[in-house]
Amino acid sequence: MIDVDSAAVWPEDADDVDEGVVANWFVREGGQVDEDETICEIQVEKVSVDVPAPAAGTLTEVLVDENEEFRRGDPLARIEPSE
Amino acid sequence: MRTLDVCSTVAIMVGANTLQQMYEEMVTARHYEERLQEEYLEGKQPAFDISAGPIPGELHLAAGHEASAAGVCAHLRDDDTVTAPHRPHHVAISKGVDLERMTAEIFGRETGLSRGKGGHMHLYDPDVNFACSGIIAQGVPPAVGAALAAKKRNTDDVAVAFLGEGAIDQGAFLESLNLAGVHDLPVVFVVEDNDWAISMPKERVTDVDDGSQRADGFDVHRERVDVDDAVAIYEAAGEAVGRARDGNGPTVLEVQVHRRMGHFMGDPEAYRPDEDVELARERDSIERMEGHLEEHGFTGEDRAEIRERAHERVEEAIEWAKDQPQPDPEEAYEDVFTDELEDWPERRDRELAAADGGEE
Amino acid sequence: MAQVEEPGPEATDRELTMSRAMVEAIATEMREDEEVFVMGEDVADYGGIFDSTEGLLEEFGYDRIVDVPISETSFIGAGVGAAMQGMRPIVELMFADFFGVAMDQIYNNMAKNAYMSGGSVSVPMVLMTAVGGTYNDAAQHSQTLYGTFAHLPGMKVVVPSTAYDAKGLMHAAIRDDDPVVYMFHKRLMGLAWMPAPEGPKTGVPEDDYEIGFGEADVKREGDDVTVVTLGLHVHRALEAAADLADDGIETEVIDLRTLVPLDTETVLESVRKTGKLVVVDEDYHSYGVSGEIVARASEGALDDLEAVSRVTMPDTPIPYARPLENEVLPDADDVAAAIRSVGE
Repeated sequence: MIDVDSAAVWPEDADDVDEGVVANWFVREGGQVDEDETICEIQVEKVSVDVPAPAAGTLTEVLVDENEEFRRGDPLARIEPSE
Repeated sequence: MRTLDVCSTVAIMVGANTLQQMYEEMVTARHYEERLQEEYLEGKQPAFDISAGPIPGELHLAAGHEASAAGVCAHLRDDDTVTAPHRPHHVAISKGVDLERMTAEIFGRETGLSRGKGGHMHLYDPDVNFACSGIIAQGVPPAVGAALAAKKRNTDDVAVAFLGEGAIDQGAFLESLNLAGVHDLPVVFVVEDNDWAISMPKERVTDVDDGSQRADGFDVHRERVDVDDAVAIYEAAGEAVGRARDGNGPTVLEVQVHRRMGHFMGDPEAYRPDEDVELARERDSIERMEGHLEEHGFTGEDRAEIRERAHERVEEAIEWAKDQPQPDPEEAYEDVFTDELEDWPERRDRELAAADGGEE
Repeated sequence: MAQVEEPGPEATDRELTMSRAMVEAIATEMREDEEVFVMGEDVADYGGIFDSTEGLLEEFGYDRIVDVPISETSFIGAGVGAAMQGMRPIVELMFADFFGVAMDQIYNNMAKNAYMSGGSVSVPMVLMTAVGGTYNDAAQHSQTLYGTFAHLPGMKVVVPSTAYDAKGLMHAAIRDDDPVVYMFHKRLMGLAWMPAPEGPKTGVPEDDYEIGFGEADVKREGDDVTVVTLGLHVHRALEAAADLADDGIETEVIDLRTLVPLDTETVLESVRKTGKLVVVDEDYHSYGVSGEIVARASEGALDDLEAVSRVTMPDTPIPYARPLENEVLPDADDVAAAIRSVGE
């Protein structure tokens, strides 16, 4: 199982901020994802960032729902890698 | 006071009182925008939701534009007309618009200038002949109309249209130049050049570096003030406004200003190089103004006192505004016409809500 | 148009916001046809103020994603001219409210050139524009103006309410040989800074597909009352319908999807079934979409009509303050009240 790490996509100019919000999910729980496919969009300090899937597989669990806050480093979702 | 002679130092041309007044307006406007930014972001953290918080909707702040309004409006009287675009606060402050009622309008309150109907892009204060349009360059023709009225009535009132450098590509502006030129109308077109039309740098969308060149095709006077300095703008505006007041026709006056905040609040400015943001910060018209004040014998203490007074005025206006009542929803149906029509507008929805057992 | 079986929004794990669905359609068309390009204010680096061109600059460059001066008359008119040369411009008017700046190019050139030429020229352009209120942007930045565009002959008018529809309608709009006004509601785009309601984000197949013009979509079936609506208010009507179902009122919600052409038949079929018609429109009350739908229902199904109601913006400009905008903008409760009133 692989965590989708929010810190990995943190925008450079938002270094002084530690909170973000999930704006949109693009994959339903249980859905198949390709590696690097955009799976959600987060907002940090007014900047929107697309979050890519770290691996191909099944998105088993969404950990932060839309319009919910998270802290930098919180996992956003879990992916069960294929093969 | 107006001096048209060329002098060796600007400090001689502008009187101490005027200098102090301009500085006070500028620090008022700067503090106002900084405070509105705070109020606006209230309720919009960490997720930025444009419709949340005490000030919803778009908010275009003018930090970095203050010198233009202060330098130009120093030559204006209440009878003179000013129109402003979507970024109007500094102009309104220098024109003498009622700050408390303007703030109440921005907070959408019942005692606001427009009773909450206009919002920050649509400020109207007929007591000092101030009006806005939120659509690019569309405040320009009405300024020409005010000048036309002054000429017809044979007064020495003038009109000033403020617009951004992005607006000089609009037909409404170019056609206005021609109409004003043909009729020799007492109007000044003040082009505030902050180098950016939202995300579009000036050189990408406008063919000339010096926007005042637009005047050439219409046989209209022109000048560009290349420095973001209220005193330099004051001098140039003195001649342009004086020309209009004395019946010698319109002027295009372009002034260099800087955009210290985004186009609107919430603009991440990802398109804008960091260096450009930094340069805009460094070229601060308020700091320059402090230099002028110092030359004129104002001590640091004097300046601090002025700033304090300005800040207090802003705080009071914001405090007063936030204390004002929200408008009654029923007022939404009023003011469509000055001579109100009976049973206007049709209110079938209300009858339905009532039939359903009450309001929503 | 031959109708291929659509894959449908449920056929994929992938969900998109409306803006991303639109962009996907534009990008696909641009890859396939060199003659398609985008022109508008802040479409390049900014990606469109409402994300309608987000990411296109990176793939297609400044030659095909063209920032233009703030000169609506000029660049919309230039779109008309380029289209008459056979290119397929997608021209963005940042807010529909700004149409007035370029009204002559839209009303007298874009819409009429095909007819005035006796059919010898065509204007295959898309005029893409943001509409709607709900975020306190006041009278000059909140209108839908559906009726203003649909009124004048010569323009096809498209109003998507979901990502699935938005993509299919965009493909159809770009491929169409006539001017198509593509009106997207800001609140539906899925912008991080203007959260959308439940509903517009849907499954969107990766392959391209078209949604034919003149095909309304029954977004919810019901036997008691017909609600005809479009854009944002599809979702408000669905919300009202879900609430009323608890009270045993079954509402049919018809999403018009295109205003020109208008799918009168789907409206009539539903009205013949329910006898009761509610039209919900974010545009002004008078001389607009709501009046048109009622007129068509009267002409086509007068004997079946038992009750009619319109839920619209009143005939006032749109006010700024929150309590004032909330008052004039129809919400789900207003729709529910109208459904109840005709249902009695």
